[in-house]
Amino acid sequence: MTASGLFEASTPVHPDVHLLDTDAGPRVLLADGSRLFGVGQALYDRIDAARRDPDPRAVDVLLADLGLDAPRQVDDLAPAPPPVRALSLAVAQKCNLGCTYCYARQGDFGGPAKNMPEATAFAAVDTLFRDAAPGERVNLAFLGGEPLINRPVVRAATDYAVTVSRRTGIPVTFSITTNGTLLTPEDGEFFEAHGFAVTVSLDGVGARHDLLRPHRDGRGSYRRVMDRVAPLLAVQRRMQVSARVTVTPLNLDLPRTLDEFTAAGFHGVGFSPMLSSPTGQGEMELPELAEMLEQMTACGEEFLRRALAGRRYPFTNLVTALREIHRGTHRPYPCGAGAGYLGVSADGDLSACHRFVGDDDGAMGDLATGPDDAKRARWLTDRHVHRQEPCSGCWARYLCGGGCHHEVIRRGRPACDYIRGWLHHCLSVYSRLLAARPDYFAG
Amino acid sequence: MSDERIDPMNLTAQLHYSAAGNPPSTLPESAISNAYPGLEFDIRNIWRRLLVGIELHEADNYVVSADAGHERLVGRRLLTVADHDVIGGLVGPTRPGAGSGPLTTPTNPDGVTMLEWSNSLADVLARHVGQAVPCLFTSGPAPNPVGKPAKLPDPGFEVVELEVRPLFATSAETGDPLAVIAEEMAGPGDLTRGLCSPWQNDYRECACYYWAASRPDYVNVEDTAAGTTTGNHWFAKDREPRVYVLDNRFDSRLVSYDDLFQDWQGRLRFIVGGDDAPEHLDPEADGR
Repeated sequence: MTASGLFEASTPVHPDVHLLDTDAGPRVLLADGSRLFGVGQALYDRIDAARRDPDPRAVDVLLADLGLDAPRQVDDLAPAPPPVRALSLAVAQKCNLGCTYCYARQGDFGGPAKNMPEATAFAAVDTLFRDAAPGERVNLAFLGGEPLINRPVVRAATDYAVTVSRRTGIPVTFSITTNGTLLTPEDGEFFEAHGFAVTVSLDGVGARHDLLRPHRDGRGSYRRVMDRVAPLLAVQRRMQVSARVTVTPLNLDLPRTLDEFTAAGFHGVGFSPMLSSPTGQGEMELPELAEMLEQMTACGEEFLRRALAGRRYPFTNLVTALREIHRGTHRPYPCGAGAGYLGVSADGDLSACHRFVGDDDGAMGDLATGPDDAKRARWLTDRHVHRQEPCSGCWARYLCGGGCHHEVIRRGRPACDYIRGWLHHCLSVYSRLLAARPDYFAG
Repeated sequence: MSDERIDPMNLTAQLHYSAAGNPPSTLPESAISNAYPGLEFDIRNIWRRLLVGIELHEADNYVVSADAGHERLVGRRLLTVADHDVIGGLVGPTRPGAGSGPLTTPTNPDGVTMLEWSNSLADVLARHVGQAVPCLFTSGPAPNPVGKPAKLPDPGFEVVELEVRPLFATSAETGDPLAVIAEEMAGPGDLTRGLCSPWQNDYRECACYYWAASRPDYVNVEDTAAGTTTGNHWFAKDREPRVYVLDNRFDSRLVSYDDLFQDWQGRLRFIVGGDDAPEHLDPEADGR
């Protein structure tokens, strides 16, 4: 289906019901609980009529009649701030690249460049374990800037977290997001030993990447990154090395990018549209989002071809979406920011996530006094998808969660059509894959 | 499939779907699938084989059978597992208005009872799967309840190391636990074998209005000139004479367990408006 076809097919008609005409047959998605049903054509037509009925009770009456009403899974109440289970440390608020669109303004978040002291990183680890409830696991993430500029603190904080984990019995997992230019084989061994999830920012193949992610002096970085990632790709067993592709109008070449990185041996490849940059540079508008959607669906079709043949294709966006659709994941937030996940600045200030470092909009206390639960509670209340517009009228609200807080606060929601079109496509792929290869979802 | 079909596809759809004709109790959130025989399953059965080598009674801390090497444990009572008690003291008043005290009887001199397995063993399951844990048994057969000794060692008790089985099956593909109870814990039919069977059993068992057994009692009732009534017990094999036989499972005028197990569908009758329904409805006669 073309992007315009997907835009049209996924236009919101009723907040609680979405209908899909898939190759595997008519489908009904009930937003509440993200419940997906296959239906006969006559029933599809009745539900379609009900969702277009001016009487707002028509859908409720029909769903009750069909036995499809269920207790509300998401209410208006924000949860109390949960224990913090994940922290990302901005271990280096500086970077050796000069990416044009960077939310961190080339790494320093618009302030002086700085490294996080070891003591601050250790204090963050203490906070992470102190707030974890028994039986939970915690995640320690390293971001920046470019975290490997401050490699000693990455290593020291990791070792310290392992020590605390052994003492408390609370398991810890690690992740790092890097531009890849500073990676060494020794880093690979360290990450492998600790089972890191390694995300490498790679915005395309060759010249396209170089255009968007140059060194500060203008030199390209693609060849260097691929050379430095290669040893990690070769040894990854416990660790998983993934590519994250930020999509701008200049690198709309997704199938080739996906194939290239898959062939290189990345464990996963994910695409994310550039929706908000400090300078406005590189931001996607509707025509580019339409083109991106067509390329995403092309990647999705290739995924489906391979999955039907029993082969792996690490197209992360779709793999994740299929898993969430199968489970019926429904959520009033797009992510754990401000809830179970917080960002830590080099100075030890806490924020809603790694993008809000140094930003008053997402300030959440500091390591010395601990997470500010009053601010977290207000954040969770204000950011609940039921309090967002136009989310409250959208069928996709519990699959989407309302969009990245940082992008929404900075730019609004320019990508709703894209997100709905993509989710519509994912629901179709799910329907087809479930019919043809139910074993894909077993276990 | 008809054009009106509904097929719940993903997991939340399946969990919350109420199929046409199914009562609300078929949904997991409202089912009676609890720690006592209901109509869904008896969860107590999953605990019987938690400890490798022995099989426990589903409702008692009593060893009912054992594998080779552990035969001597049959008939004994299990008191603790990995330092978790599986029995507790009974305390309460013995007559109205009296204070609480130990509830002992001649057959239960220690005044103890078995704790429900899900409460007493869940923590053991959570922490010790695959490990051998110390289990405290009586040192000989104990048909009646027995309390814990004041201190150990005690010649009346014996500690035996037994391994804790995983509750869930493991994926052959990934080695990860599956959301399926392992067959070593409960084989096919184990979870449902003790459930209510109203037609064959509970109608005979319970004369009360227990939900699984509520049934007709006094049927074919007619007033008499004397101002009393005559009628039949629903279980009367013969409806003549029209007399109410007091319920007694040994009275040969009433259907017995054996009768029901052999031919419940022939013995039990539909009652319409308080009277036996005609044996055969003739569709032609009333125009249907």
